[in-house]
Amino acid sequence: MNDRKLKQLFASARKATAPTPPADFAADVLRMIRHEPPAAPATISIFDQLNLWFPRLALAASAVIVLCLAADWGLAAVGVPSLSDGVSQLSAQWLLTPTGL
Amino acid sequence: MSDDAELLERIRGGATDDFAEIVRRHQTRVFAILHRYERDAHKVEDLAQETFVKAWRALGQFDGRAPFEHWLSRIAARVALDHLRKEKRRQNEIGLPELGDDVLDWLRSDDEKNELDARGAAELLELAMRELSPADRVVITMQELEGRSVKEIAGAMGASGVAVRVRAMRARAKLRRALEKIAKEKL
Repeated sequence: MNDRKLKQLFASARKATAPTPPADFAADVLRMIRHEPPAAPATISIFDQLNLWFPRLALAASAVIVLCLAADWGLAAVGVPSLSDGVSQLSAQWLLTPTGL
Repeated sequence: MSDDAELLERIRGGATDDFAEIVRRHQTRVFAILHRYERDAHKVEDLAQETFVKAWRALGQFDGRAPFEHWLSRIAARVALDHLRKEKRRQNEIGLPELGDDVLDWLRSDDEKNELDARGAAELLELAMRELSPADRVVITMQELEGRSVKEIAGAMGASGVAVRVRAMRARAKLRRALEKIAKEKL
């Protein structure tokens, strides 16, 4: 089967006429969809979901940072050593000794 | 007469009856698409109904970026693909269709002027395409019989353009071999 003959076959098949829809076809479809639930809303892609979540996540992260700072300030105010004190102690004891870095 | 976009807006707003107008506008095209894959008129009607019901169910996903007709054609192609997969499973249970004398004459002939009529060509293609996988058949049908672009086929099949090109090339080669096999068996 050469190319010319294959093209001829496709060209002839393209001319085939399709059956005509029956006169009451639209009414039949309508009867079927009346038993269907209403059209579903568009599904949200993963990127759209991330876009929706990002402002909330940013807000939650900011709230956590503010809470930590407030807790640190509060604890320092009542006399509990703050995190930065601990870090200074650590560096003084371990890092800045003659055997340290 | 309002366009598809206005009608669809009304349907989304609850005017279910307006969907009948959408069906009337696009039914001829949907029947034509499905007839490329199924020659039995009753089955074509069933598949067309399935296409419109699926379109109705998915109406919320139609974003209007492409014409409604294109979106509906994609649904019809997927319905056809599912149908071909089901048919493939029971293909061995049904006999092969007989080819008419005009088709056999055309297969024998080397004369370029000897043309095959549309019915005979459809019969012969139907028989040869049984050798192809359902996906190969959809790609070849969309490309060669419906004249769709690679991009459109890729959209309907959910595949890349490269994958469609490769599949089309292989499918054409398989189809050619199937036609040669038929020619050997029937002559």
